[in-house]
Amino acid sequence: MLILKNLLRRKVRTALSVLGIAIGIAAIIAFNAVASGFKESLNQYARETGAHLMVLVRDVPSAEYSRISREEADEIARMDGVLESSGSTFYMMMMKGFPAFILFGREPDGRPMQRYRNREFRGELVRAEDELLLGSEAAQKLKKNVGDEIELFDRKKFRVVGIYTVGTVWENVGAVVHLRVVQQKLRMGDSIQLAFIYLKDPATRERTKAEIERRFPHLVAVRSEELAGNFENLAYIDWFVWVVSLIAVAVGGLGVLNTMLMTVSERTREIGTLRAVGWSCRRVLGLVLSEGVLISVVGGALGLVAGWLGAELLIRWAPKGYLGTFYSVTLFMKAMAVALGLGFVGTLYPAFRASRLSPIEALKYE
Amino acid sequence: MNDLAIRTVDLVREYEGGTVRALKGVSLEVRRGEHLCVMGPSGSGKSSLMYLIGALDRPTSGEVWLNGRNLEREPDLDAVRATEVGFVFQLHNLLPTLTSLENVEIPMMALGVPRAERRRRAEELLDRMGLSHRRDAIATKLSGGERQRVSIARALANRPAVILADEPTGDVDSKTGGQIMECIQAARAAAGATLVVVTHNPELSKSADRVMMMRDGLLGPASP
Repeated sequence: MLILKNLLRRKVRTALSVLGIAIGIAAIIAFNAVASGFKESLNQYARETGAHLMVLVRDVPSAEYSRISREEADEIARMDGVLESSGSTFYMMMMKGFPAFILFGREPDGRPMQRYRNREFRGELVRAEDELLLGSEAAQKLKKNVGDEIELFDRKKFRVVGIYTVGTVWENVGAVVHLRVVQQKLRMGDSIQLAFIYLKDPATRERTKAEIERRFPHLVAVRSEELAGNFENLAYIDWFVWVVSLIAVAVGGLGVLNTMLMTVSERTREIGTLRAVGWSCRRVLGLVLSEGVLISVVGGALGLVAGWLGAELLIRWAPKGYLGTFYSVTLFMKAMAVALGLGFVGTLYPAFRASRLSPIEALKYE
Repeated sequence: MNDLAIRTVDLVREYEGGTVRALKGVSLEVRRGEHLCVMGPSGSGKSSLMYLIGALDRPTSGEVWLNGRNLEREPDLDAVRATEVGFVFQLHNLLPTLTSLENVEIPMMALGVPRAERRRRAEELLDRMGLSHRRDAIATKLSGGERQRVSIARALANRPAVILADEPTGDVDSKTGGQIMECIQAARAAAGATLVVVTHNPELSKSADRVMMMRDGLLGPASP
């Protein structure tokens, strides 16, 4: 009763404090959803290939810097329990009108190439070095269709033989070519960047992973669904996102601190009255803390909704196909915990001050 | 001593490191159910005495006994105030965002009285003050007299043994002041409580059982 009435007596000030918290929490949700969306899209990409393991050079910041020699790839392919090892390369090229255009090099007979032939696929798969599959978003943007020609780099012309749509959004704004095209472009001989490993029996995955890493200490075999976790730099993105979000949240917290300091100052006489009629320091502390925490709960809840809306708007405004969002219950819980913690910490000092007020001084306060 | 509601022994209260001596050794005995009026000019030490009797403050030296309890030995003065004392302030000090009913409930919250019981008791007290029709009015919408009557009801909420009133009619006209004093008297009589009124208004001393005068931190009998 008292908590709500105290907050509602200065509606605008309370609303601004709620807004401050809401903006901070919305920033946490929106930034994290987009960053998680990118990581999740990497994992989804790996899952969609159907590979049980993905092999690349250990400790590289991106698969682009990984190099596995043909001999190493062949030896992995010959290992017990391995059904297929398919090489892969990719190249992030500059193309007018595209923030990034990824060219994937695939072995024509490999399973990663077969993956594009799904229900939405039109045309044929790549067989030759002058053929190319175009992602549906890229095809739409470039106004190309099956049978058209396209010049990608070094004045090389490719014939569009198929148009694909897959679940990983950024693949749809790229293209797939013969493995050797990317190998030649990057002057990497016959080495590959990544090997997709398919096992005869999925139950042997852990044993095969250990065996690959034992034989080739400079390589790492990653479970496909954990590809994003392999890249340390993505962890830094998480860190960066949280730092930026927490700055926004801290500003909201200062708002709560300011509001509660002002409210305690304005209500000094009332606090004196409460103390005079027998309210203990602890009860006064609890009253002021509850007010701050209520601001945070309301601000946090609004922030969750605003963050979700903000992230969805962000990916709509961003160039189509590059950003996605991923929400988890953990993210919402973390954001709410931050809001509550902030409300509590931001109110602690004003509440402490209120509880320590001398009842006599407070009663005399003009 | 068992029939004493209030007893102070050589009470001294100093402020600012002893440079200001508000009370210079006040000894006082007030019987249960007695109505005492303490008069004196501003700055004489009346309020300091009231704060000490009301367990809002601790003395520099001396003793305060309230309803048989030596306050020096009471670790929790909040509990003493909640159970033994009811305050009526000059400016009523109602919480402005709350209704009359909610204001009367406030002291009962300190004792953890259940909501239904709080409500029942608050309604009964407002009824006794003739304010049943104003129970849901926000404090700021009440007249000066109504506010003071709500504050009397609040003072009685936890059925205190002692009611302390500091210039209870100081903020209203003389006619309303008379009505307020009647209310306080009636409430005291109904509750069988001890009443100490601190004032500089001689009118308020007329209904008192005993009148004492405070001058320069010392308490003595009022001049005839």
